[in-house]
Amino acid sequence: MSRPGLRQVESGFTLAELLIAIAIGLSVLAVTFTSAVALQKSFSAVDNYFGAHMQQIRIVDYLARDVRRGLSVTSSTDKQTVTVKIPKYIIQAGDSDATVSNIGTPRSPSLAIASGDYNINYGTATSTVTTVVYSVNGSSILRTEDGELTTIASSTDILLPETLDIELANTEYTTTAITFQPISVADRSGTVVYSTAYLRNRRRSF
Amino acid sequence: MKMYPAKNENGNVLICVLGVILVLSIIGATVLRNSTTRLNVSSKQVRAWKEALSAAEAGGDMAFAELRKQFSTDSSVRASQWSGWTKSGTTYVSPESTFGSSNLKSRTVVEICYFDVSGNFHLGANPDPNANSWYRVRSRGVSTLLGLKRTGMDDALMNEGRTHFAAFGSTAMKDITARGNGDSLLRKVDFKYDHFVATYGGSWDDPLTTRNDPVALGAPQISRRIEQVITPLTPFFDAAIKTAGIFYGLGSAAQIDSYDSRQGPYAFVANSPSDPRYINSRHGNVEIGSSTATVKGMIYGDVATNGGTIVNSSQITGTVDNNVPFTLNDYKMPDVTSWQYEPPPASGNGLAYQLASSFSGNKSLTPRYAGTANAPVYYLVSSFSGALNIHPTAAATDTYMAIHVTGDISGNSTGITVNPYVHVKIYFDRDINVKSNNLINQNPTVTNPMAANLQFYGISPPRDANGNLTWTQTINLNSATPSTLAMTFYAPSADISLNGNPDFIGTMVCKSFYANGNVSWHYDRALNSEGQLLDVRIASYVEDTR
Repeated sequence: MSRPGLRQVESGFTLAELLIAIAIGLSVLAVTFTSAVALQKSFSAVDNYFGAHMQQIRIVDYLARDVRRGLSVTSSTDKQTVTVKIPKYIIQAGDSDATVSNIGTPRSPSLAIASGDYNINYGTATSTVTTVVYSVNGSSILRTEDGELTTIASSTDILLPETLDIELANTEYTTTAITFQPISVADRSGTVVYSTAYLRNRRRSF
Repeated sequence: MKMYPAKNENGNVLICVLGVILVLSIIGATVLRNSTTRLNVSSKQVRAWKEALSAAEAGGDMAFAELRKQFSTDSSVRASQWSGWTKSGTTYVSPESTFGSSNLKSRTVVEICYFDVSGNFHLGANPDPNANSWYRVRSRGVSTLLGLKRTGMDDALMNEGRTHFAAFGSTAMKDITARGNGDSLLRKVDFKYDHFVATYGGSWDDPLTTRNDPVALGAPQISRRIEQVITPLTPFFDAAIKTAGIFYGLGSAAQIDSYDSRQGPYAFVANSPSDPRYINSRHGNVEIGSSTATVKGMIYGDVATNGGTIVNSSQITGTVDNNVPFTLNDYKMPDVTSWQYEPPPASGNGLAYQLASSFSGNKSLTPRYAGTANAPVYYLVSSFSGALNIHPTAAATDTYMAIHVTGDISGNSTGITVNPYVHVKIYFDRDINVKSNNLINQNPTVTNPMAANLQFYGISPPRDANGNLTWTQTINLNSATPSTLAMTFYAPSADISLNGNPDFIGTMVCKSFYANGNVSWHYDRALNSEGQLLDVRIASYVEDTR
C-alpha cells in the first residue's frame, strides 16, 4: 500500500531548476578552474621570478668570493666578461707539482719581493695564479676556472650581469649589477641586484 | 505530513566543495613548499654562507689582535697575549668563540713560520736569531642553519665527469665532483658532518687536535675557511736609504747595490745576470718622502720620491716613481721590563761585565749573561764618549745586548767594536758624532760582517704642543780612514750626515740624509725581516673553497 506523502519526497527537480543548477554548477567550476589556472600562472611567474633572483644572488656570491680572494680583476669594455686572478691555493690534477697523494690539498706559500712589497705566492714556479673568467653565453652565465667550465646560472629570463672594476692605489673593487627580464613583465627595471666587492689582497699587475 | 529530503542528492554538492578545496589546497601546498624552499635558500642559506665568512674573518681578526698585543703600552695587555689559547711549540689554537645573534662560531690557528733565502715556506721559528717571525693564520667560521634540512632548488646532483679540482674517479674531493651546478657547489651545506673535516681531516682546523672531529652535527651548518699570512713590519725593509725629508747624495762616483749575507760575503754581481746572487743584487733602493732630492751615483735599484723630478737614466737600473708619499712615525724606546738589566758600577769602570753610567775611556766588556734576541742584557748610560770593545759571554756563545744612551754618543776616539757572536742594539736619545771607522762590526767575521749585528735606534724627541720635535737629533759619521762599515740606523727623527768614502753595508732610515762621498753602499737583503719589530700586517688572504 502506498503512502500518499512519498510521491512528493521522490519528486525531482523541474527542468528549469535543473538547468539553473547546472548553470550555477558550471559557473562555479569555471570560476574555480579559471582561478586555479590564474593562480598557477601567477605562482609560476612568481616562482620563476624568484628563481631568477636566486641565480642573481648566486652569480653575485660567486663573483664576490673570487674577487675577495683575488689579486686583480679586469672587466671587459662591455662589462660582461670579468677576469679574476686568484692565488693557486689548491693543487689540481695536471699541475706540475701534483702527485697522487697531494691533489686537492693546499699549497704552502712562497715569498717574493716585488715593487717594494712582499708578495705571497701560491703555486708552482711557472704558475702562481688561477685565472677565473666570468662570461655570458646565450642564456647562461659561465664561470671558467683554468679552463674548467661551470654553468653557474641559466635562465630563460635572460640574466644580464654587468661588472666594472675600479683600480685604486693598492686595491681594487668591482661593482656588479645583474638584471633579468621576467616572463610576466617585459621590463628589466626593478630586477637589478647590486654588489660591491673589494680585493683583500694588495692589487697586483699581471 | 512529514517530508524527508532525498539524502543522495546532497552528495554532489559535498563532492564539488571537497574537490574545489582539494584543488585549492594542492595549489596552496605547492606554493607553500616552493616558498619554503626559496626561503631556505634565499634567507637562511645565503645568509648563513655570508655569516660563516664573517665568523672566519672575525677569527682572523682575533688572532691579529693577539699578535698586536705585544705592541701595547699597557703591560697587562702584553701579559695577556695568547691567554686562553692552546699552545704547543710554535702553534697556537684559539678556543671556539661563539658570538652574534646567530651563534656564529670561529676557531683560529696561528702558526709561527718563516721564509728562507729562496723564499720557501717553513713552519717553526726562524733559525736566524736576528730575524722576526711570520705567522700563518687559519680560521674557520661556522653558521648554523636552523629549521628543516633542505637543499636549494637548483641542486641536481651530477656525475658528469667534470673535474673541478681532481680528475673524475679520484679519491680526492668526491664531494666536489658529486655536486651539481647549483647552489650547493657554491654554498656547501653540511647536514650530518662537516664535509671539510670528513674529507680532509681536522688538521687544517686544528693541528693540535684539541677536538674530536668528525662528529655528527646537531644541526645543519655552513662552514668557511680562510688562510692569512701575516708579515712582520720591520724598520729596514727593502731600502738602502729611506728618508722622510730632504735627500742629497751620494758622490758622483758612488754606487748603491745589494746582496744577501745569507748567501755569503758581498761581491759585486749587479752586472752579472748569470750569477745566482744576481737576483739579490739590484735592491739598492732609495726612498725619499719629499720632493727635495738630489740623487747622484750609480743606483742598482729603484728610486722613489714624493713629488720629486727624478728621471729615468742609465744611472738607475730600477724604476723611478715620483709619486710615493710616506711618513715615518716617531720611534719610542721599547719596553725593557723583560730585558736583563745590568746596573752600573758604584764608581769607575767596574767589573768586566759592567758599564759605567757615564762611559768614557776604553772598556773591554764581557756580559755575564748571554741574553736572547727578545730579552737582551740591558745597560743604561747617560753619556757615551769612550771606546767599547764587546765580547761574547763565553766562547762561541751568541750574546745579545742593548745599550740605552740617554745623552750624546760623541768624541774622536768614541766607538764600538762588535766581536764575533755579539749582537748589539744601541738606543740613543740625543746625537751621535763619531768617526765612522770607530764603529767596527766583526760578527760573524771581519770579511763578512752582518749589518744586523750592530743596530742603532734613534729615540724620537718628545713633541711640543704644536706637534714639533723639541730638539733636533743629528747623526754625524765623520770622515776617517776608508773602512768597511756594517750597521743599521733607524732614526726617523734624525738628520744624518755621512762623510768620506767608506764601504757601507746596511741601511739608514732617517728624517733627512746628506752624503757627499763616493760611498760604496751595499744593502743586505737579510735585513728585510730583521731589526726591531714595529708592527705586523696581513700580507696575503686566501679562502679555502674546498
